[in-house]
Amino acid sequence: MEKIKILLVDDEKEFVETLSERIRMRDHDSEVALDGEQALKKMDDDLPDVVVLDLKMPGMDGMEVLRRIRKAYPKVQVIMLTGHGSEKDEEEAKKLGAFEYLEKPVEIETLMKKVKKAYKIKFESTMMAATFAEAGEFDTAKEIRDSEEEEDSLKKAKKKSK
Amino acid sequence: MNEKEIQFIGKITAGVTHEVNNVLASIREISGLMTDILSITDEKSFPRKEKFQTSLEKIQNQVQRGVKLTCQLNKFSHLSDTNKTDVDLNEIIEHLIFLTERFARIKNITLQNRPLTQSITITSDPFLLQMSLSNGISYLLNRMGNGGEISICPEKKGSECSVSISCIGERIDKSLIFKDASSSEELLSLNSIMHSLNGVYELDELNAAIIIKISSKN
Repeated sequence: MEKIKILLVDDEKEFVETLSERIRMRDHDSEVALDGEQALKKMDDDLPDVVVLDLKMPGMDGMEVLRRIRKAYPKVQVIMLTGHGSEKDEEEAKKLGAFEYLEKPVEIETLMKKVKKAYKIKFESTMMAATFAEAGEFDTAKEIRDSEEEEDSLKKAKKKSK
Repeated sequence: MNEKEIQFIGKITAGVTHEVNNVLASIREISGLMTDILSITDEKSFPRKEKFQTSLEKIQNQVQRGVKLTCQLNKFSHLSDTNKTDVDLNEIIEHLIFLTERFARIKNITLQNRPLTQSITITSDPFLLQMSLSNGISYLLNRMGNGGEISICPEKKGSECSVSISCIGERIDKSLIFKDASSSEELLSLNSIMHSLNGVYELDELNAAIIIKISSKN
């Protein structure tokens, strides 16, 4: 089983830390950020495969964090996990590129199923590039890889500027 | 109560239900972690493992019950977000029954929704609409003795919608249900709500029913 790197973003400390522990017990990597700014900073240092993001947080709200993640790291999949979200919120989150929109509390097995599905998409895009290259379709493979490299170089540039 | 006051109460209720939901989510994760740990713990080193496991399941069931309640309360708090929107009458009734069935249960009365198979969408004030139905139910609950059923049936004829709230039960004295009805607090309040909703209510003494009539395009 592939080890997935998950970043959990929620201001409810006990909730998010316990959820993180349960994820680690299932043999995946899990990190916690208690607000949006902390989450973006952690992503600059170490890019996760999937982000599980709360909607209503003090400071930068979940929707803004989602917008920034999708812009800076388009391959990282984001699952919104919120209390009582509205249909309008769900629509907006999906429009911004959220992979899934779930309501709290959620069964851990349900959450992990969605996380694995989100990870698969990220993994498949990397595999797709390799397949195109093997088939001699270098332009398409390059296009896919370029977008991945763009993400990596952005990450490196940010690290350098610190 | 004016619109601003209703919205204020809605906003506060929504905020509190959100917080309570966070508490429930934490309890669920913590008890979930305990279940996870228990599942990898050897039975020999944990003599009362089964009892512990059953207790954890009970905690999780109560959390589930709490989540259902906060979810309905949250829906209720958002009724006051707007004073005119498209509402599904069947949904409004179902929601109201969930929130008020406790009052009926105390008197051994069941609230029975008899929804139409097709959905009835009307343009109305959801908060006032639910309040009008709640007043009708409260009136009958106060007039009925112990036991019986209150049946709530929506109906649509052309552009007019109606909801019949009637009491059913062998021990119900139908002649007493509407005695001095016009001076009752619930019906006085219902009258003023119906005025705001551009609707009317009628008393069907023969069937011991209150019929609330509203236009589907309010």
